[in-house]
Amino acid sequence: MKHEEQLKLQAYLDGELSGRETRAVEELVARDAAAQNLLAELRFTKTALAGNEPEIKLPESREFYWSKIEREIQRLETVPATRGTNWFTWWWRRYWIPFSGFAVMMALLLGTVNQYLFRSPVLEEIDNPSEETGAFTFRSDKERMTVVWLYDRTEETASDLEDLEEDPVK
Amino acid sequence: MATPKDYPRLQDEALVKAAQRGDMLAFEELLARHRDKIFARAFSMMRNENEALDLSQEAWVKGWQRLKQFQGESSFATWMTRIVINLCLDQLRKQKRQRAESIEELEEESGGVERQMPVVAVNPTEGMERAELRQRIDKALGQLSYEHRTVLILHEFEDLEYKEIAKRMQCSIGTVMSRLFYARRKMAVLLAGYKREELDQ
Repeated sequence: MKHEEQLKLQAYLDGELSGRETRAVEELVARDAAAQNLLAELRFTKTALAGNEPEIKLPESREFYWSKIEREIQRLETVPATRGTNWFTWWWRRYWIPFSGFAVMMALLLGTVNQYLFRSPVLEEIDNPSEETGAFTFRSDKERMTVVWLYDRTEETASDLEDLEEDPVK
Repeated sequence: MATPKDYPRLQDEALVKAAQRGDMLAFEELLARHRDKIFARAFSMMRNENEALDLSQEAWVKGWQRLKQFQGESSFATWMTRIVINLCLDQLRKQKRQRAESIEELEEESGGVERQMPVVAVNPTEGMERAELRQRIDKALGQLSYEHRTVLILHEFEDLEYKEIAKRMQCSIGTVMSRLFYARRKMAVLLAGYKREELDQ
């Protein structure tokens, strides 16, 4: 008998076949002694097991067994509260700290880029006179130096002022 | 309203409702009623008392955690049994992954030995007392591979159909049929062997 036919015999015994397949198996059993014997053996086992599951008792007292389960339930029920705190810490570490670090880095980078690339044009000489005191400021980025020259305006003559207007570097 | 004193007299359904409201004493009463069955199922699948104890306890803890999902479509005992079966299947899968597959296992899967066995012609359980039969079944189950034992338990003791067993064991229906066939054949031979031993003595 083919293995497929053996499995069909078993499926027949278990009521897992369709009507047409059932009739085909019944025909096989009617004409084949080996099929009859195998079906009988499978039926012995099925009948022997039905309702005869081994009786196995829990080897611990109810109180001891329950105490372990109760303790575990209580332990797990306290976990969510702890997890709430941990969750916030986890979130803080996972997202907020890296984000803050990134923001600081970006700010530094922008500051540097801004200093070197987008610096506003600087006049090499700045005239900043007040009523009585005059001042000239000179800054050299190359030399990293700023010079402020103060002078008394009351001593200035009109011509000096005219000369200065014409040639501020003088 | 029932007090804890009344719990032993209440039906499972009433106890489940009380437990769903958070009453642990009601749940303890349910455990007292079904603890042997749940442990027995774990033991029949694992064949190891310590593992069965751990898994049955885990099943009760899960049962409590998921109790609100229990809608009463089956009995509480059946629902709990399904939980412990799933835990046992997970554990058996883990164990199988851990150990290397041996040649014997591969042969057993394809019926290497059982294929050669002659058909048992006489009912090996005839005239046997129920307690004795149960003992022999237990002994024979212990001699099966876990795949054969599990499929036999799920089909014969849990009354699951091939399709349902395949789903739970994560295999094809063809594999279930094949495993069940060889498990039954081996069981018949083992039971017949015990009978022969008895007659010889």
